[in-house]
Order: sequence, then C-alpha cells, then structure tokens
Amino acid sequence: MALHAGGDLGAWANWRTDRHVARCAECRQEIAAFRAARRELPDAAEIPGVAWNRLAAQMKANIRLGLTLGELEEPAPREAGPSAWARPAAVFAGLATLLAAGFILQHNGPHPIRASQDVEVETTANGIQVRQGAGALGLLHRGASDIDVNYTPGAQGAMSAQNVDDTGHVTVTNVYAN
Amino acid sequence: MRTRDAARWVVLALLAAPALLAQDYPLPAGSINVSFPGDSPVLFSGLTDQSRGTARGSAMVIDLRVSMVLRNVSANRQIHGVTLRVVSQEVAVGGKGSVTYPSLHVGPGESFPVRIEMQLMRPTQAVNGPLVQVSLDGVLFGDLTFYGDNRLNSKRIMTAEELEARRDREYYKRVLQETGVNGLRSAVLESLVRQSERPRLDARVTRGGPSVASSAAPVQSGAENFAFLKFPDSPVAPVGGSAQVSGNEARDPRVEVRNNSSKDVRYFELSWLVSDANGQQYLAASLPASDPALLLKPSRTAQAAQDTALRFTRNGEPLNVGRMTGFVSQVEFADGQMWIPSRQALENASLMRLIAPSAEEQRLTDLYRRSGMNALVEDLKKY
Repeated sequence: MALHAGGDLGAWANWRTDRHVARCAECRQEIAAFRAARRELPDAAEIPGVAWNRLAAQMKANIRLGLTLGELEEPAPREAGPSAWARPAAVFAGLATLLAAGFILQHNGPHPIRASQDVEVETTANGIQVRQGAGALGLLHRGASDIDVNYTPGAQGAMSAQNVDDTGHVTVTNVYAN
Repeated sequence: MRTRDAARWVVLALLAAPALLAQDYPLPAGSINVSFPGDSPVLFSGLTDQSRGTARGSAMVIDLRVSMVLRNVSANRQIHGVTLRVVSQEVAVGGKGSVTYPSLHVGPGESFPVRIEMQLMRPTQAVNGPLVQVSLDGVLFGDLTFYGDNRLNSKRIMTAEELEARRDREYYKRVLQETGVNGLRSAVLESLVRQSERPRLDARVTRGGPSVASSAAPVQSGAENFAFLKFPDSPVAPVGGSAQVSGNEARDPRVEVRNNSSKDVRYFELSWLVSDANGQQYLAASLPASDPALLLKPSRTAQAAQDTALRFTRNGEPLNVGRMTGFVSQVEFADGQMWIPSRQALENASLMRLIAPSAEEQRLTDLYRRSGMNALVEDLKKY
C-alpha cells in the first residue's frame, strides 16, 4: 500500500493493486493515510545527519519483502485484510531484515556512506578515496602492505599514495577533492 | 500450523537477508572506457576490463580493474613517466583521480604493463554505460620534454619526481663508486630501516563544511604559527604563516613566501610537519601555492592559502596538533625549470627520517629487497 501510495510499484503490481483497492474500502483508507503522511513529510529531509535516501530505499525493500511473504502465504488477492498472523509476521520479517542490514552495513561495508555534502579525501584500508555524500571513488593498491605505501595528503584537498607494484614499477595514485 | 509456517518464513527471511543485501555479480565489459589521443606517443593494447558490482543495502559498490600494456611508439625518445587520468561522474563532485608511473626507462618500441584497481560507491544500482573514463594526462620524456593535455599538472609533478629520481640515483651510484658493494648495502639497509620507522599519520582532508575536531585531551583552539626550516639555496623562502588549530584538526593554513631568486616563479610548494604532545614530528601534508595564475616576481611575496580542514589520527586515535613546521619542498620557475632540495640539505635538517622516500629511492631499495645486491648494482650501471 505504501509503495502504491508513493507511485513506487511496477506497472503490473500497480494494476493489480488498483483492481484490489477498487473493491476494498480498508485498503483505500490505508492508501489515503499514506498519501497524507507523504504530504507532511518533505520537511524531514532537511534534518541533517540522516541518510534519508538510504533509509527510504531500505524501507521500500523491506515493504516489498513483506508483500512477497504475504503473497507466498496467500497467493490469491483477498477482499478483506490479511489474517491476524500474516501482517505481524511480515512486519517482523521486515524489521529483522532492517536490523540485519544495519549490522552488515556497519560491520562489513567497505566504508560508512555518509550523507555529508563535504568533499573529503582520505586513506582507506587498501587505497585512497574521494567522497561526497553517498558517492565515492577509490584507487586501490591491493596486495601492498601498509608499511610499503607512502601516503601524502595535499592541503588543497588531495591524497597521494606511492608504492612499488608486483612488476617492480613505482605507482603513485592521487585523488582530488576539486 | 499457520503460526509454524509464519515462523519458518521469518527464519528464511533472516537467513536470506545477507544474500539479499550483498549480491555480487559481474558487470558487462565496457564499464571502464580507455581512450588515448590519436597522436599519443604511447599506445595501449591487451586491455582487460573486469568489473563486479556488489549491492550493499541501497548502495552499490563496484570494483573495477583494468589491465593493459603501454608501448612507447615515439620515434627516438625514452619515456620516464606516464600519468593516466581517472574520472567518474558517478561521484557528485566528478570524482577525479590519477595514476602516475614515475622512474621509468622505456625506450622506443618497448612496453610495460599497468593495472588500475578502482572502487566506486554509488547510491543507486542502475548501471548504464561507462562508469569510469581513463585517459592520458601526460608523458614525460628523458630530456624533460612533455606530451599531454596536462589537466592534472602532471608535467610539473612528473618533472619534480624525475629530478628527485636523478638526485637519489646519483647518490646511490656515488656510494657504489666510492665505497663499493658493502657501502651500497649499508646505504640501502639504512634507507629501508628509515622507511619502515618513519612516523606516520592518517589524515582526512575536507573542503568546506563545519569543523568537527576531536581531541585526545582538553585543548585550546586558535591560530598557531608555523616555524620554518630554510635551505640556503632555496629560491623561495617562507616569511610567516599560521593555521587554525583545534584538537586534532588544523584548518585554513596560510603561509607567505618571498621570491629570493632573480627569476619569476610560477609555483611553489611547502611540506608541513606537525608535532604531537611528546614532540614527535610527522609529515602532515604538502601545502601548495593557492593561485593557479601565480607569477611571483623577484623580491615579491605571495601566499599559499588553502580553505581546507585536515584531521589527523594515529593508530585510530586523534592526534592533537602541537608545533607546526614548514619548509619549501618545490619551486617551478616561469621558464619551466624546477628546484628541489638537495639530499644533503634534507639530511642536514634531519628531514630524511620524516619525509617519504622519492619514487626512485623506493624502487631501488625495493629491488634490493626482492632481487638482491647483484640486481641493484646491474640497475645502477644501466642508466
């Protein structure tokens, strides 16, 4: 319902949902509530330090997962709402997935992706990178031990890494913030 | 029964979560576009492009790896350096990088392999067309002539690297000549020890945005003045300078220099050292001239000023910035000639233990470490 209200469903799913909603007052109410919430929410995007786009994408993915689980249990469209257990189970699955995603992104991600709009250059575990918001470009020197790589920051907004590669040639990589 | 089924689906969802969130798949060839100008003195061949994407939550991490062979197709010039430009429009700022191969001796018709590994993080998963553009920024020849569009100032950077390479190569050749193989071995071992014991900092450089310094202990913030090391033969001398220091952050460095030479200066660069609370010094950053259209006349002054913030950590802990020291590390004259400090001047100022080795010194000492003394002596006799 949330995806339908936001216009985020695919064409086929949208058509099927439209057909169902035309016959289901409860779902029509739910969609109206989602649309009202959307009208009030744009200001939230102004809150700094929160990665709204990422959060939104994760929530949509979780809703889709919940819908898929619901469909697997009840393949045919229902005139009334889902049974008492199906909806909590889907919600629980979504929340659990969100927690798992948070854990994985926190511990296994190559680097945290921040919503900051500052342009930053920095060293990473096996290279150097320039980053702004959720986008980053890194140049890597995999295989070189850290002690063999010489990093030199540039105060103008640059980072340099110099090492000898496995062919015996010196390689100097640079990333630039402007 | 229904409750048991629901529980089964929940468990399945939990088990599937990592797979859903970290799907790894190959990207079609063509995600890296490599193009050189038609009249380039180097050509590439044997291009392989291996790229993989991994979805992590709503973001996507793309590992890009390109390998190729570069061949010198010039008529009679030896290549001593090549810089490739790497640009991705995927990063909002137009993520830009470069890969330089200094200290080369590639004669006409000769080839050398290159490999570039990149990682791209982007907020969406759609992939359309090339993600990264690799092109030629410049080629430096043995006679210090240059080919290329030089958008990343690779002419100046590679010329300085070449001068450092000649300086340090001459040093090791002289050691071999004057003290033989045993003396050369001592000099190389001394360099390897110095490289491994060089005190290192991790730094993050930010353009724009508010200060978010952290500190290991309560600190005062305010302007901190630079002290300077001066080389007698330096064409440019620092006059004064400061940076805003707070905890482990130094912001907005500004240094004024005076042209003591008789020639116009087009560019200069300082090296910036910081000390911790125990007085241990570290190379913090290079501080380049800030005016891209600089033309510093004799006896006139100019500023190196950067509106950036540098945050320093060591072993993951914030490192409070104490004393700051600067010295001139590079000068380019308007006629294209360059000055770098002599090895003797760096040794006299006890700077060799702090600064990174030149590309050539790193290559020569690495050659000794990998292949032994005979290989090093043969290399020194070659050029």
